[in-house]
Amino acid sequence: MSHTANRDRRIAAVFLIPAIVVLFATTIYPMLYALWLSFRNYDLAKPFIPRIFVGLANYAEVLTSKAFFHALITTFKLMAMTLSAQLVLGVGIALLVSQKLPGMALARTLLLIPMMISPVIVGLVWLFLYFPELGYLNYFLGLVGIGPVPWISSTQWALTAIAIGDIWQWTPFIMMGTAAALQSLSPEPYEAARIDGNSRWDVFRYVTLPQLKPVLVSLLFLRAIDAFKIYDIIFVLTKGGPADATEVISLYIYRQSFTFWRMGVGAAASFVSLIIISVLITLFFKQMQRGQAARAR
Amino acid sequence: MSSVTLRKVVKRYGQVEVVHGIDLSVEEGEFVVLLGPSGCGKTTTLRMVAGLEDISAGQLEIAGRVVNDVAPKDRQIAMVFQNYALYPHMTVRQNMEFALKPQKLAANEVSARIAEAARILGLEPLLARKPAQLSGGQRQRVAMARAMVRTPKVFLFDEPLSNLDAKLRTQVRVEIAKLHRRLGTTVLYVTHDQVEAMTLADKIVIMKDGHIEQVGSPEEVFAKPRNLFVATFIGSPAMNLLPAKVAVVNGAPVLVANGFRLAAPPSIVSALDPGASVTLGIRPSDIRVDEAGDYEAVVEVDEYLGTEVLLNLRAGNHELVAQVPAAARPAPDRQSVRIGFDAARLHVFDTQSGEAIR
Ligand SMILES: Nc1ncnc2c1ncn2[C@@H]1O[C@H](COP(=O)(O)OP(=O)(O)OP(=O)(O)O)[C@@H](O)[C@H]1O
Ligand SMILES: [Mg+2]
Repeated sequence: MSHTANRDRRIAAVFLIPAIVVLFATTIYPMLYALWLSFRNYDLAKPFIPRIFVGLANYAEVLTSKAFFHALITTFKLMAMTLSAQLVLGVGIALLVSQKLPGMALARTLLLIPMMISPVIVGLVWLFLYFPELGYLNYFLGLVGIGPVPWISSTQWALTAIAIGDIWQWTPFIMMGTAAALQSLSPEPYEAARIDGNSRWDVFRYVTLPQLKPVLVSLLFLRAIDAFKIYDIIFVLTKGGPADATEVISLYIYRQSFTFWRMGVGAAASFVSLIIISVLITLFFKQMQRGQAARAR
Repeated sequence: MSSVTLRKVVKRYGQVEVVHGIDLSVEEGEFVVLLGPSGCGKTTTLRMVAGLEDISAGQLEIAGRVVNDVAPKDRQIAMVFQNYALYPHMTVRQNMEFALKPQKLAANEVSARIAEAARILGLEPLLARKPAQLSGGQRQRVAMARAMVRTPKVFLFDEPLSNLDAKLRTQVRVEIAKLHRRLGTTVLYVTHDQVEAMTLADKIVIMKDGHIEQVGSPEEVFAKPRNLFVATFIGSPAMNLLPAKVAVVNGAPVLVANGFRLAAPPSIVSALDPGASVTLGIRPSDIRVDEAGDYEAVVEVDEYLGTEVLLNLRAGNHELVAQVPAAARPAPDRQSVRIGFDAARLHVFDTQSGEAIR
């Protein structure tokens, strides 16, 4: 019996080899290489100079760099803007499309489209919309007597402009998850509330929202991880500018690596942000578990 | 004054009519049970009274006021649902508080009502628990408490016991009876279980296919079923039915059923037409099994139930079930018994229409 079990295991291993090779080549090797780089001085502009070991110098530079902290704060600012708007809009639209009204099933499908478009295309779409003189957005705002707003050319508006693009793209994600969760709620408590005469707001606030909370927390969490890595749409719209107004972590890393050719510093910044996000994830799960334990009590 | 009145109430879903103009009046303080097989429109009727379904035609009055277009919350009713409909994330106390919230009562009034309901239904130790931490019977008691604290004019119950196991069902049934006795509030109660209906109701409303077949006290619907449907639906084991013809012997009508010749019940003699096809109904408990019996029958199977025995009999072409006290059980090896019928206890139905002949 153990003989066949052993053989089964060996066969399984054989089947796993291709996957392991691919995984190694595409994720583990680059990561290890980046880790190695982060301790070296590697200037892409002078590729033939040996990559000497510099200890923690790259990390020290990142952690004491104003630009890095500026990027970190910008990332969190953008995250706060997009996540709060996506939460409110996503839940609101989900409540709307969950009504038993004609056309809602179609609306639900159409509303998913932004999510399926590649972020680069989303960036381009918004680039056209934001065009100072020719863009539709300023045209329509002009009709109601507002603007023109220098969407992506002013340090004041650029981050908001990016947030709007991201909100447009990812609100459907929250909507979809929320609508699915709404469907799984049992209808009888709502009928009970109707008979008892609880107001719509009270029913939402005290019946629906608490039951949606676990789902909303998970959806926001997934969005937060994505928002921490936001890159494409910013690259298309502002390239981190004007000045450093929209330089988030990933653009900071890009700039260090491919504008200043300082690969070591870029790699170190990557690992610092990886550590930050890992810490956040851990804290988040601890909190979730505590919440669940409290609920079970 | 009647508490709930339905006049020609109709419910249609699109083209399909599922409740066909029913008339019903529920007196103040009465416990009325809607009883009928699955799909007969009991729930639909109850939900129209609650205001959860629109009324397609007809009129609904609660406490003397037409409420067809009145929102559920303004009908002074409370409903207890089959699957409890408790708010899963709220404690027992919060469930009751939330139900009271729209009434905007003073805090001490709220806690007084909750304390009272909790005491009556024995929920005091459970007030801080959530529904998931309660047994089915406890959940149903919470659902009742939540309905009770609102002090409605009418309680509506939709199969409140059907998710409970048999033993618990009996217990909670008694709780409901006690609660009604204590509060004296009007109750409209839906079930497909005749035992629930017989034990709880002041008045039973028997429904079939969106029509009301009979309205009456438990005694009435049992003793005087108006038609074959009611006759067979009420009573367990079910009434025995025998096809028969009305014959006239010496000027008196006699019911002839393939080997049996039975005197007609005196009260209906004048209503019987000679030669008519009728259906005889005999309750299992109305079959006498003793030496004095007129007919011979063979016991094919006897089912011992503790206090009584069900005898599955064959008499000529007829298969009959008789219910006798366990003490009167024929000896097990006794294959053949004598049976007799009491004319006054025969039910006679017109075979064509199914209506009882009175
Ligand atoms: N929303 C609906 N749309 C169409 N038909 C419906 C709807 N709800 C109920 N019906 C139909 O109305 C009839 C009565 O249903 P109802 O739920 O009132 O039956 P019931 O007597 O409560 O049965 P049960 O004992 O199974 O609960 C059924 O034939 C059912 O198919
Ligand atoms: Mg029903």
